[in-house]
Amino acid sequence: MMKPLLVLRRCSSLPCPRPAAPLLLDFLAPSALRHRQYHTTPSYQSTSPAAQPTSEGSKPKYVLNKQQREFLDSALRVNQAGELAATLIYTAQTPQVVRSHPHLRPLMKHMYDQEKGHLTTFNHMIAKHRVRPTAMYPVWEVAATFLGWSTGVMGREAAMACTEAVETEIGSHYNDQVREILSWEADAKSRGEELDDELKEMLPTFRRIRDEELEHLDHAVENDSKEAQPYDPLVNVIRLGCRAAIKISERV
Amino acid sequence: MARPLLRPLRSCRNPLVYPLFCAPRISLIPATSAIPNQHNQLRRLSRDLPSHHRRLYHSQHHPDPPPHEYTNSQTTILTAALKHVPTHGFTRAALTLGARDTGFLDVSIQLLPRGEFDLILFWLASRRGLLRAAVEQNGLLKSPDSNLVSVEEKTIKLIMERLRMNTEINHQWQDALALMSLPSHIPLSLSELHALSSDILHLAGDASVDASWYTKRLSVSAIYASAEVVMTRDSSPDLAATEAFVTRRIEDSKAIGDKLTGVKQCLGFMGSTAVGLGRSWGLKI
Repeated sequence: MMKPLLVLRRCSSLPCPRPAAPLLLDFLAPSALRHRQYHTTPSYQSTSPAAQPTSEGSKPKYVLNKQQREFLDSALRVNQAGELAATLIYTAQTPQVVRSHPHLRPLMKHMYDQEKGHLTTFNHMIAKHRVRPTAMYPVWEVAATFLGWSTGVMGREAAMACTEAVETEIGSHYNDQVREILSWEADAKSRGEELDDELKEMLPTFRRIRDEELEHLDHAVENDSKEAQPYDPLVNVIRLGCRAAIKISERV
Repeated sequence: MARPLLRPLRSCRNPLVYPLFCAPRISLIPATSAIPNQHNQLRRLSRDLPSHHRRLYHSQHHPDPPPHEYTNSQTTILTAALKHVPTHGFTRAALTLGARDTGFLDVSIQLLPRGEFDLILFWLASRRGLLRAAVEQNGLLKSPDSNLVSVEEKTIKLIMERLRMNTEINHQWQDALALMSLPSHIPLSLSELHALSSDILHLAGDASVDASWYTKRLSVSAIYASAEVVMTRDSSPDLAATEAFVTRRIEDSKAIGDKLTGVKQCLGFMGSTAVGLGRSWGLKI
């Protein structure tokens, strides 16, 4: 509760060179646009509910089996834990990074806001589908805050390397989920059935979130994450930690 | 499931005839194939019987699984046996009577490897299903005369509704509680209790998505379990004493929760004040 307040106060007290909103857009325009173009493939459009012809509403719904339900259960649990950790990492990093590099304020805020949005999305999904949140919730809170704080202390490059490592893992994790749901869709199509609206909506949501995470990865690389010292041990340890956390959250 | 199990047994109905007819008949069948088969079936049966099921992804497009996983013939016997529980208690006698009522042989209660404990589990699971149906189909929480708004009020209402379902078997319930607390029965009893508290909280509209998911289910489980014990000694009209007990416990747990939240908030403020102070002194933290 206190951290965002501090950030806000600091923002108002520091002299900002330009108004915030145009600056934000200036800063993000090139890479954001590039990414949209890269990921917006034709198939992406065809899966969005608006593009579906209404006559397909008569098709029978694809029934999830037990394994698929289990998959969704653990996937949503991991996603929520991941986004929780991401918001906490950015919250802990922001003050230190912004203190020495004020020009990164809009970027950090932009990334934090997106993660916050993802967390809200998954919190809704968890409540709606009655998925058990991970039992390690308090542990992840402490671990993520510590990770963000310690990489923040190590400097901008280390903070960006942390972002790079985390987003690499998370991006491929979302990719696996999209692939799994797509395989269900193919299965449903081969049986002449279709996925229900919630699953259909999940596909573009997961894709959008994955693209945003990968956009963060690009921002991190642009901001010299590769210059972090020592780069390899740092990134490998964080990626290993992420993978372990994903495996644990899938189960408990 | 019932047929292959019962067929070899049907000819052995009369214990006097058994040694004369059944022994040679069984010896005609190659022993290596027949007996392991039966054993396997029995083992599979007992393994297939988890009345505890993992709570998975729920969705309005995918119907909820039934509250228990008994097969049709098992459900038939158990449902009929429940009618005999007020007089015979949760015993094998009630199971046998239930089997007879529905035209099964006395031996067919072997379909239920856990015996009377299966009867208790079926009671718990089916009442849980009835509670769900009462809210979702009969609009238990939506009646115009009740002004239930908060999750706590709804939780009290649901706990009491579930306890009232126990009224007719109240005098047998202490035996059932004793049976449930046997060491080998504790895991299944606890998972059933968890399923009930999870259902109650979901029906009451609780949407917690953090660690409080666990604490809330723990506290509702504890309150429900202790209220059941209180209820077995409650002779007041319409369970007034039990209701007062449940209301007090819910208030207590709410008070404890508020205290904990307050302490956490206070510690958080102190921590961020310390960090802010350090930063204003120029520390790189």
